[in-house]
Amino acid sequence: MVEATAEFETLTTNGRKPGVTLIDADVHNYPDSMDELMPHLSKRWQAYVKQSGFTIPSVSIYPKLYAQAARRDAWPPNGKRPGADAEFSREQLLDTWGIDYAVLNPLVAVSTVRNIDLANALQRAVNEWTREAWLDADRRWRGSIVVNIQDADAAAAEIERLATDRRFVQVLLLVRSYAPYGRREFRPIFRAAAAADLPVGIHFGGGGNPITASGWPSYYIEDHTGMSQAFEAQVISLVCEGVFEELPSARVALIEGGFAWLPALMWRLDKNYRGLHAEVPWLRRLPSEYILDHFRATTQPMEEPADARHLLAILDMIGRDNFLMFATDYPHWDFDAPDRALPRVIKGALRQRILAANAADFYGLEDN
Amino acid sequence: MALKTIDIGSVDDFEAGRPRRIEAGGRALMVVRRDRRFFALRDICPHQGAPLSAGRVDGAALPCRPGEEISYGRLGEILTCPWHGWQFDLETGRALVEPDRFRVRVYPVSVAGRRVVVKMD
Repeated sequence: MVEATAEFETLTTNGRKPGVTLIDADVHNYPDSMDELMPHLSKRWQAYVKQSGFTIPSVSIYPKLYAQAARRDAWPPNGKRPGADAEFSREQLLDTWGIDYAVLNPLVAVSTVRNIDLANALQRAVNEWTREAWLDADRRWRGSIVVNIQDADAAAAEIERLATDRRFVQVLLLVRSYAPYGRREFRPIFRAAAAADLPVGIHFGGGGNPITASGWPSYYIEDHTGMSQAFEAQVISLVCEGVFEELPSARVALIEGGFAWLPALMWRLDKNYRGLHAEVPWLRRLPSEYILDHFRATTQPMEEPADARHLLAILDMIGRDNFLMFATDYPHWDFDAPDRALPRVIKGALRQRILAANAADFYGLEDN
Repeated sequence: MALKTIDIGSVDDFEAGRPRRIEAGGRALMVVRRDRRFFALRDICPHQGAPLSAGRVDGAALPCRPGEEISYGRLGEILTCPWHGWQFDLETGRALVEPDRFRVRVYPVSVAGRRVVVKMD
């Protein structure tokens, strides 16, 4: 049973000092243009980018109704795009809300760049740019390692290269991949992440296939709402392909995919496992047990039932108070405000866990 | 309560590996022969009540590591429900998935001469 009624209390789990009270598990930083990535590319790729007029690959497929999918007030005064000015993001997000740590997820779609060598060069450039332009700028930022899923060995090498910089706290994948991530071709990425004791974050977006299993819908509202299908596919694949049997320390964050669908998925998968387990005899436990032990989810976009108590019912069905991690998704239009997004029925120790302690435990963040 | 001994037929009435439904002692049993041994289980799946005697007795995919070739073994030891494919160990009646939660009742069976005898309460 999830604890939802206790009065607010100060957590000191894992011996952490009680100074971390708000962690944002999903913030977006963008290079304003390829010019910012150029210093991190070799001369060969600099020449290629200039000659070809190559621009930063976007994860967007649909017109998003809001420019750059951003809050109207998130455009920096210096004219850069939202999320491209570390100083402005620091003021508008970290300082305004008193955020202790924020996990940066740069949505640069390196894996959709079909020139596989350029994609490999770009992953390194984006990561070096994150390190220099953001992680060095404020100690509250934490980074995600962008990888090219088309070349899992190169992705693994990039993870290994950055693993010693502990300001990088996860490996970032986009949820809409050309095949689900449990498949063996992607295993080097998960092996490298586990070896580095880094979780893998799977974030909203990506592309390569029709965005639903029933083909292409027409509107962004369908794109956005239907994203949970892709998250379900990834959870099912990672469990059924035995990733967590091979890599018992592997951890996965589901970012911007919602969570209310999870109980239904666990029920359905467990039920099917009883009759179909012969296909996957490497599994030794119920699928739901792997899910609850190895996955976490971020809150934004917070599901908003008319009766907020239904959220507590969902959390009770999930059955773990360490499952959710608060996120704003700054600077996007569907930003969740730290003081308002969680309904008041989520209170006490559970509220504090969601706002900070769960992400602190998951990402290994201590008093800053 | 003392167990009743009930004669359920001749050894020759049972084809090896083919389950049969037998009414005995007011209950329906699934009885199957493996070589010289007999197994009797309640003929009701604990999931949704399917007659287990309509299922198959065969083997199972053996536990392995991810990426390893899947082997098939335990031939003649596993009963598969005809409806939803739940599998049960003939010896114990326990399901292969969640054995502590799902179990079919097992009745002791013996052979006396050429007669098959089951003990029931």
